[in-house]
Amino acid sequence: MIVCIAVVGHQNNPLYLQSFTESDDALKLHHIVHCSLDVVDERVNNPKKSAPTLSETFLGLLYPTENYKVYGYLTNTKVKFIMVTTDLDVRDADVRNFFRRFHAAYVDAVSNPFHVPGKKITSRTFAERVSTIVKSFGLNSAG
Amino acid sequence: MGREVSESCLENLLIEIVSSFCTGFYVDKPELAARRIEAIGFQVGHQLSERCAIDQPRFTDHLEAIKFICKDFWSELFKKQIDNLKTNHRGTFVLQDNRFRWLAHLSVDPSLDASSSIQDPSAMAKNKAAQATGMHLYFPCGIIRGALSNLGIPCAVSADISNLPACSFLVRIKA
Repeated sequence: MIVCIAVVGHQNNPLYLQSFTESDDALKLHHIVHCSLDVVDERVNNPKKSAPTLSETFLGLLYPTENYKVYGYLTNTKVKFIMVTTDLDVRDADVRNFFRRFHAAYVDAVSNPFHVPGKKITSRTFAERVSTIVKSFGLNSAG
Repeated sequence: MGREVSESCLENLLIEIVSSFCTGFYVDKPELAARRIEAIGFQVGHQLSERCAIDQPRFTDHLEAIKFICKDFWSELFKKQIDNLKTNHRGTFVLQDNRFRWLAHLSVDPSLDASSSIQDPSAMAKNKAAQATGMHLYFPCGIIRGALSNLGIPCAVSADISNLPACSFLVRIKA
C-alpha cells in the first residue's frame, strides 16, 4: 500500500504532499519525504555510482527504512516525485508504471491555465486522480 | 498524444493576438506589446514542454535539451524539425527553420507602404514590414524561452528574419 506521495519542485519546494494513512503519522511520512530529497540530489549529482540509470527519469529505490520503501522519480523539468510504500516486495515494473501514470496526471494538472507554475497544486481533479492511481497500485501488486 | 489543433485557427489567433496588442492595448508602446506577447508564448512553451518531455530520458547537458527542442518539441509544434542548428559551444545556439510555418502565409499590409513618404519609400516599407513580421515572432521566441526555462535553462531568445521565409532563432543561455 502506498502511504505517502509527494511532488517537489526544482527548488525543493513542496508542490503536493498527500498521505494515505488512517493513523496520525503524516508528520513522520513528511519527514521521510524530506530526507529522501538528499538521496535524490546525491543520485543526480554523483552519476558514477548509478551509471546505468544516468539518464532515466525513474530513480528506483531511494532507501529502505524499517517499515517503508521510498521510491523516486525526477522529470526533465527538475520536478521530483517521491513515493513511500509499506509493501516490502514491490516489483520495479509496478513502480515504473505507477510513476508513469502519476507523471501524466501531473502534466495534466500543470497544463491548467489557472495553475501558477511553482505554486502548490490545489486542483481537486488532480487529487482525485492521484488517489485512484494510488488505490490501483495496491490492487496491482496484490494480484 | 492524439490531440490536434487546427492550423488555420491557430494562425488566425496569433495574428489577432499580435494586432490587438499592437493596435489596441499598447498602440504607442511596441516594446510593451512585445513583452506581453512574449509572456504569453512563455507560458505556452512552459506548459507544452512539460507534456513533450514526458517520455524523454533525462537531459544531462544544455546541448541535449536544445536538441530536444529542435527535434521532438519542434515536430510537435510544426510537424518538422529545425533545419539547422549552430552553436559556439559557449552557450549561444542558432536554430534555423528554412520554412517557418507561422510566417509562410504572412503578407504585408499595403497601407503601410502607402503611408511612408520618405525619400526612399522601399527601404521604409521594408523596415515597416520587418517590424510587423518581427511582432509575430515574439510569440515563438517566448515559446522557446518558456520551454528551455522549464527544462532548467534560463536564456534569452531573439529572432532573425533577414532571409524570409527562413527564420532563425538565437538562443543565449544565461550563465
